[in-house]
Amino acid sequence: MKKYYYYIPLITFILLILFFSRQLFLNKDPSHLPSVMLDESFPKLEFNQLAKYNLLTIEDIFSYDKPSLVNVWASWCVPCKIEHANLMLLKNKHSIRIYGINYKDNLKKADEILNLDGNPFYSIGVDSSGRIAINLGVYGVPETFILDRNGKIRYRHVGPILEYDIRETILPILTKLEQDD
Amino acid sequence: MLVELGHFCLALALSVSILQFVLPIIGIKLKSTRALATSTYSSYLFFCLVSFSFISLMWAYISSDFSVALVAQNSHSLKPLIYKVTGVWGNHEGSLMLWILVLSLYSLALSIIGKNIPLKIKSIVLSVQGLIASAFTGFILFTSNPFLRLLPPKLEGEGFNPILQDIGLAIHPPFLYLGYVGLSITFSFSIAALILKQADSIWIKWVRPWAMLSWTFLTIGIALGSWWAYRELGWGGWWFWDPVENASFMPWLAATALLHSSIVAEKRNTLKAWTILLALIAFSFSLLGTFIVRSGVLVSVHAFASDPSRGIYILLMLILFTGGSLALFAKNAPKLKSGNMFSPISREGAIVINNIIFSAAAATVLLGTLYPIFIDALTTNKVSVGPPYFESVFIPLMVPAILLCGFSPMLTWKRAVFDNMYERIIFIFIVSILITSFLIYIRNGSAMTFLGIFLSIWLFLGTIYDFFERILRGKSFNEVAKRIVSYPRSAYGMSFAHIGVSIFILGATMSTAYKTEIETSVQIGDKIIVENKELIFESIKQNQGPNWLADVATFRISHNESDISFLYPERRFYPASQINTSEPAILSRLFYDLYIVLGEKDIKNKNFAVRVYYSPLLNFIWIGIAFMAFGGILSLSDKKHRVSYKTLRKNRNLSIK
Amino acid sequence: MIKLFKYAVILFLCSAPSSLYSQNNTNLESNSLVLQQAKELYEELRCLVCQNQSLLESEAPLALDLKELIKEKLKEGKTKKEVKDFLVERYGEFILLLPTLSLQNLFLWIGPFIFLFIGIIFAYKFYTNFNRSSNKTKTLNPAEKKNVQKILDEKLE
Repeated sequence: MKKYYYYIPLITFILLILFFSRQLFLNKDPSHLPSVMLDESFPKLEFNQLAKYNLLTIEDIFSYDKPSLVNVWASWCVPCKIEHANLMLLKNKHSIRIYGINYKDNLKKADEILNLDGNPFYSIGVDSSGRIAINLGVYGVPETFILDRNGKIRYRHVGPILEYDIRETILPILTKLEQDD
Repeated sequence: MLVELGHFCLALALSVSILQFVLPIIGIKLKSTRALATSTYSSYLFFCLVSFSFISLMWAYISSDFSVALVAQNSHSLKPLIYKVTGVWGNHEGSLMLWILVLSLYSLALSIIGKNIPLKIKSIVLSVQGLIASAFTGFILFTSNPFLRLLPPKLEGEGFNPILQDIGLAIHPPFLYLGYVGLSITFSFSIAALILKQADSIWIKWVRPWAMLSWTFLTIGIALGSWWAYRELGWGGWWFWDPVENASFMPWLAATALLHSSIVAEKRNTLKAWTILLALIAFSFSLLGTFIVRSGVLVSVHAFASDPSRGIYILLMLILFTGGSLALFAKNAPKLKSGNMFSPISREGAIVINNIIFSAAAATVLLGTLYPIFIDALTTNKVSVGPPYFESVFIPLMVPAILLCGFSPMLTWKRAVFDNMYERIIFIFIVSILITSFLIYIRNGSAMTFLGIFLSIWLFLGTIYDFFERILRGKSFNEVAKRIVSYPRSAYGMSFAHIGVSIFILGATMSTAYKTEIETSVQIGDKIIVENKELIFESIKQNQGPNWLADVATFRISHNESDISFLYPERRFYPASQINTSEPAILSRLFYDLYIVLGEKDIKNKNFAVRVYYSPLLNFIWIGIAFMAFGGILSLSDKKHRVSYKTLRKNRNLSIK
Repeated sequence: MIKLFKYAVILFLCSAPSSLYSQNNTNLESNSLVLQQAKELYEELRCLVCQNQSLLESEAPLALDLKELIKEKLKEGKTKKEVKDFLVERYGEFILLLPTLSLQNLFLWIGPFIFLFIGIIFAYKFYTNFNRSSNKTKTLNPAEKKNVQKILDEKLE
């Protein structure tokens, strides 16, 4: 009689090992998450104004005919400070339009920081309750979305944007989006 | 200096363990009894070296030697002594040291207790133990060395995760490892049986006590971990189906199946391939748990800091031990001869069903734990598999097992006649239904709740009935007393363990279904009323621990005029790590637990957020588990185990083929 | 002896302490339906930023916001399912601790049945194989049977 079924445990185990190896060698961070908002239109949201800065409106986003960035930030968030200089760089050197969403912040302090370090944002919307961020599927600050010219979300960046990220992901995606259509 | 000596001993231990692995193989090839016999001495030597190495590491912790990198990272001079000691295994490197210490202890125990096991079998077992020991010792030395020095040394340690400063958590790893690693002995015995292509009933008799011992330790270890989660995490829950919890639960399920199947293997000399497979799988689950906790493929609150190179090393170990043993199983298991048959309706038949259910349960826990990885690999989506899944799948699986367990001890061996059984089963069934419907009458609850209560009563009555039926067979009181005394310890053990399961089910069901939860914010003088108990927030004061500052609240709990007690929940702040934690205070009575968590302080109006949980019969969970563990110990103390290790003297020098 | 034991059990039952169960769970009724539903939802949703905790067990800022949002939506009269769908639209199925019954999760849900089924097949094979091989073994002759019966009877005494 054939004793093929004695091999079942071994075969099951080999399959398991294949999955484990893939997970290990791809060195994926299991806590990294994709956004489900990808390829969705930027949701129709309403914001409050921050001090003297331009108010972010949904019309702004949809009337602009170039790709843009939406950055979720707060003055209390340390990585946001790291990213600030890079956002300035994107605005000044690469003339990218960046919309800011100020997340659960002390508005006075947010204003102070922009006064001190410069304002990289074309316009700013305040999300004092964190509700808007939830509508965007945001996990925390900082987080950045790349929108195409039609206002569709095309990419999501979690954590601060570093020089490396600008070079390797942000700019290539922006140029690609510009060449499309 | 001591640290370097410990490091050196560990390196020596690696070479000794390699010798322990290699020499018996040479002995078999060259038919040299001397070479075979060295395995015993290797195991002695390995134990001494590893113990010394472990003690030197412990000394570095006790003396707060912050020139040792590991101590500097994980300890703090202000920590209480007990947590300095237990802090040794509170991190990846140290816990591995504990792992091999326990491994060396088991090999030593086997060498000493197993004097009468035929040399050939014993040396193969010790050789496999040597291979496991060298793999793990190598793992420590090459990827996770605990003895590395720091230059320049630190003046103060970097603290210690405050949430880990708890006695339940501190002592649960040793028990858990005694369980995990104990399964290595049953694993090695199974390898020996597969290599020699023979597993007779005396072989099962050697294996069974180790399986029982590991199961008992695992039970205690899991319970301690769960007890810690209950008292520390502050949500009144005690089991979260976290990957790390599942990692300890899977070997437990496999070991439970192994315990039962080995009874059949011993009695009928059959199901041997299956029993061997369970032994292989149980230890593989232990290794898998190690992989899950340390490789970072799954996220968990309990996971150690992960490092891919460690992950690869553990993966290689998994391939070597599990892959190797399963390949050997596929090749040699069909050659094992089977003994006697039994009818599907018999005690053995019931155990077969128990095994199917427990294996399916273990496989299901594995599936749920790893499913996020599968989905991540095969699609671009991410899924979560959480407690609701496990509860909705695991509980229905266990229901038939408990139903079966209620009457299967009454079934006769080999072939049961159901005619004799009807009366008993119907009696137990009616009584259980009566009690349950009485409860339905006096109290609301869901169908699941009453199912749980019914199962608990059913199992309890079934077990008690079986016991009394055996005892009361005596016709006079003298005879009954005699039967009570002569009733085998292993049978007592079984009854205790099953009653433990019943108590556990009752506790788990009641404490979940009738838990009352109050979330509120209170000022001094405020009153909360829970289940006829009055909680008064009397005062708050600042307190200082060895490495924390705390707000300590005083709650006065009055059950009635004369029965008054106090609870002191704390909100702690650890300056070293800048972490706030809540220390729940628990009033634990036999029939209920009252659990108070002091939350964040609202500076504006001097309010404190407070959560109060009232869980009826929660203690039955721990009592039930204690009964199970005690059943394991009783069963271990049965004299038949000693006999099986003693009566072999005449076969001692079994010739080498 | 056994009869005695049975009667004792039934007697004990009749006098069972009912005080233990007599208190009624009034608290549950006083809590509003919304809070009850919200709690059920918290248990089924993942705290996204802390790993392997449900919303119920989490004090992370995002979790607190989500809890607040869920309560509001329920107060607006949304059903549990609508609230879940809203969150899944934004955070994906990852937020659900109880995976949905979809093609992707098919194996997760039928897996336990498959495992049981495999076990039953093996048990069936085990019994039938044995019967086939054990048919060949000889049976006892009448004299032997009598002998065995005698020994058994003695044992049972």
